[in-house]
Amino acid sequence: MAELDVNLIDGLAALVLLTAFLIVATGRMRTLVRVFALQSLALGLLAAAVAYSTGYWHIYIVAALTILLKALVIPRIIDRVMDRIQVANDVEPSVRTPSSLLIAGGLAILAYYVAEPLIQSGETITAGALALSLAVVLIGLFVMISRKKAITQVIGLLVMENGLFMAALSLSYGMPLIVELGVFFDIMVAVLIMGVFVFRINRTFDTLDTSFLRRLRD
Amino acid sequence: MLELLLLIPVLTALVCLLLRDRRKVEWASSLGSVALLAASLLASYDVVTNGAKDEGTLYMDGLSAFMLMLVAIVSLATSLYSVGYMGRELQEGRFGAKRISYYYALLHAFVMTMVLVCLSDNLGVMWIAIEATTLASAFLVSFYNSESSLEAAWKYVIICSVGITLALLGTILLYASSIQQLGEGGGSLEWSSLLAMAGQLDPTLLRISFILVLVGYGTKVGLAPMHTWLPDAHSQAPTPISALLSGVLLNCAMYAILRYHMISSTSLGPGFSGGLLVLFGVLSMAIAAAFIILAKDFKRLLAYSSIEHMGVIALGFGIGGPLGIIGGLLQMLNHALTKSALFFGAGQVYARTKTRTIEEIRGLSKTMPITSTLWFAGFLAIVGCPPFGIFVSELVILMAGLQAGELLVISLYLVLLAIIFAVVLLRASRMVFGHPPKEQGRREGDLSAILLIVALLAGVLVLGLYLPQGLNDMLEGIARLFPGGG
Amino acid sequence: MADLVLALIQTAALLALAPLLTGIIRKLKAWMQSRRGPPIYQPYLDLAKLMRKGSVVSEDSSWVTTITPYVCLISMVVAALLVPAFVTESLGFLGDLIVLVYLFAMTRFFTALAALDAGSTFGGMGSSREMLVSSLIEPAILLSFFTVALLTGTTSLVSVTSVIATSGASLIGPALLLAFAAFLIAVLAENARVPVDNPSTHLELTMIHEAMLLEYSGKDLALMEYSSMVKLTLFVTIAWSAFLPWGVATEITAPALALGVIVFLAKLLTLAVVIAVIESSMAKLRLFRLPNLLTGAFMLAFLAVMSYFVL
Repeated sequence: MAELDVNLIDGLAALVLLTAFLIVATGRMRTLVRVFALQSLALGLLAAAVAYSTGYWHIYIVAALTILLKALVIPRIIDRVMDRIQVANDVEPSVRTPSSLLIAGGLAILAYYVAEPLIQSGETITAGALALSLAVVLIGLFVMISRKKAITQVIGLLVMENGLFMAALSLSYGMPLIVELGVFFDIMVAVLIMGVFVFRINRTFDTLDTSFLRRLRD
Repeated sequence: MLELLLLIPVLTALVCLLLRDRRKVEWASSLGSVALLAASLLASYDVVTNGAKDEGTLYMDGLSAFMLMLVAIVSLATSLYSVGYMGRELQEGRFGAKRISYYYALLHAFVMTMVLVCLSDNLGVMWIAIEATTLASAFLVSFYNSESSLEAAWKYVIICSVGITLALLGTILLYASSIQQLGEGGGSLEWSSLLAMAGQLDPTLLRISFILVLVGYGTKVGLAPMHTWLPDAHSQAPTPISALLSGVLLNCAMYAILRYHMISSTSLGPGFSGGLLVLFGVLSMAIAAAFIILAKDFKRLLAYSSIEHMGVIALGFGIGGPLGIIGGLLQMLNHALTKSALFFGAGQVYARTKTRTIEEIRGLSKTMPITSTLWFAGFLAIVGCPPFGIFVSELVILMAGLQAGELLVISLYLVLLAIIFAVVLLRASRMVFGHPPKEQGRREGDLSAILLIVALLAGVLVLGLYLPQGLNDMLEGIARLFPGGG
Repeated sequence: MADLVLALIQTAALLALAPLLTGIIRKLKAWMQSRRGPPIYQPYLDLAKLMRKGSVVSEDSSWVTTITPYVCLISMVVAALLVPAFVTESLGFLGDLIVLVYLFAMTRFFTALAALDAGSTFGGMGSSREMLVSSLIEPAILLSFFTVALLTGTTSLVSVTSVIATSGASLIGPALLLAFAAFLIAVLAENARVPVDNPSTHLELTMIHEAMLLEYSGKDLALMEYSSMVKLTLFVTIAWSAFLPWGVATEITAPALALGVIVFLAKLLTLAVVIAVIESSMAKLRLFRLPNLLTGAFMLAFLAVMSYFVL
């Protein structure tokens, strides 16, 4: 029983990382949003599995919120924004896909080396997932840096958040409930605000390409 | 009681949002800020005389009281200044009439998030509050909705959110190490209890956690090399907001780092986190010095000067000891007051000249003698001329460094301060002296603005001449909170 | 003695079934495209017909062209000796997973060389593309073999199969599944299937594998075609045996063997359906897009290794 739980948790954690790679690999905006939703779903299920095997009820709430907000509401919001401003469906990476994938792989190795000492000291059943979560955080950061469109930067940030969330789950079975709720609130507000900015950028510059944003410099 | 401190700005923000009439909104905003300052004074007095107050998620000790006072003073000055400044911008049609209540509501929401940063006991809540400062101020930075202000706001939100994500990771690691001590489900993020058991926390986790937090919140502080959002946001935001960002927002983020610094140096000894603070401090000063030389826009010049001062503050706390900590705290206070005065002056100059380019401004002493004299006095104060307060606090940090025997750091510190001194005064005198480019009549800035600048500079001057006993006791009390600060 | 006989029967079955698998895939594709299609035994007839015809060899070509069909055939037969299909016995006393990889590499090397040998433009184009594909996909294959070797502690394919088959569900995990996924992409890429290559096209600008066979005719062509059919069968078999071998007979008893044979046929059929579905529903990728897919396969295999170490 316990072993099956661990297998399931590990599998879901691997799925979260796999989707991070898919986010790097995909060339279509719509797919990108779908894959992000899938990642959030996997993360929510992971949280539910952790809640089930540890018996902490507050993780169920967190799991439900993750699925509701990150797998359903936020992808819907992003889709809306893309419909309204009619984003072209190409991702426009500034680093080509194969190189991006290789860099993401390198980041995963880096995450493994960073996380190794922490895994040794961790006592939770999910400690192994820490390396994967750090990898997801780094890949999210890489997506933000290497993709030009404003929306992809938002998605990169959300991927980072997902990675963090998994790190919190794997190290300490999540944070205290009040903190988790506050973090969710902040993320929602951040997405809404960035959505507004995406509109305004699109209206003002007539493009979403953030490489146009370089008037301010010394 | 502590909830009241949060409630005042929230209510003010709501009232501002509901009122339509400009005069009424301005009154509401000013009264709200006065009320916040009064409440903060009362609460701080209480804390200084009766010791720290712990109310569940909210907590207030000497350090929180000090930060709270900073927030309250600068936000009062800002909201008073906004009345004249934003009023004129409105008349000039830079934004629609309806948006003025929106501006004040956001301003007070922003103040509320900063008050929450100072008062939260739970490090998780503190994280939420700091992210909320970014979110609340994002629309303030982009208030004019011009191309460049949008760009600044986008960079601000994205860079600070990324930074703060790393800080969350650091917070998670700290929580994990506390769980290891207290057992599953018993972990704590309340920094007061973390500090109490700091000795038993896992050192590896703590080290990584501090690095992440320093980089994460350091982004918000504007420590180099994570500072890139700062000059953009400061130069594009409405001037009162620049003052608020520079004067207190940066200090609030620094405050968060200090809390982790206290935990980390209790557990690992002061060398690790202090050393990192010194490193980032010197780096920030160096990069700020380089960009001050390059800066062409006077608001950007002021922004880089903020980076420099954050570097000085980080250096002071990093060196530590009673002198270093008191020097750092004084530097925070002096910088907040001086930089607000400078931004207020900058707003008046911009209103008169309609340009922010240093090269295009000449002979302010002819066109607006009083304002420009005050502005120049502000520049003298910011680079650390006696008899202003910054001279004293930088001197205290210098002494702390000499006492600690950090000769290399101190010599870098002096060289960088000297460079900045020369360049800033050179730029300032180009703008103030000489002949105006075309014949312009004499017209001063707003009377209210001049009075505010006089008040702020008078404060800095007093701090430079002597330290009031009450403040001195308070600072020494705060220094004792730090390990090695007694 | 019985194990030796079984192993021989197994090898013979793999060699004999190879054209059938190709026939089945063609038939399935025809159904999905609403055609009747040729009967599933058509490849046997094609091969038999080609075998009866003489070969024409270019005057400018060297001995490489002549020996390549035999090199390919022999490598494939040797490879077939090493691969367990329905029973965990084989004649692989010496060979292991690494040898398999090199046998396939040798086939490819000679095929590419022969395509260059005649000096035709298409041959050169085909072999350069083939080398591009293989240089990208080979690391993925090696890494996914590496994963199962780590999981089971052996590099011999037969031992890998029996260890996984007897260890129950505990080995099922991200590592195994990711490696399997990576290898499936490798199956498509190595055997010139859509979306990497289209086996049924002779359009000059797109073909990869077919371009290399253009110079061959008659008996030589039959051998080359047959080798690639065996190669496909072997890859499909390895995909199951190395990663998800459940159902294979691990002991020599009649019920176990019967089950093993049935499961093996079912597995072949499953992948045949998968390939047919992919080929009917997807278009071939543009050549410049290929690295995206193949690096993706590499990353899958990489993740497999990583999750072995991490989880």
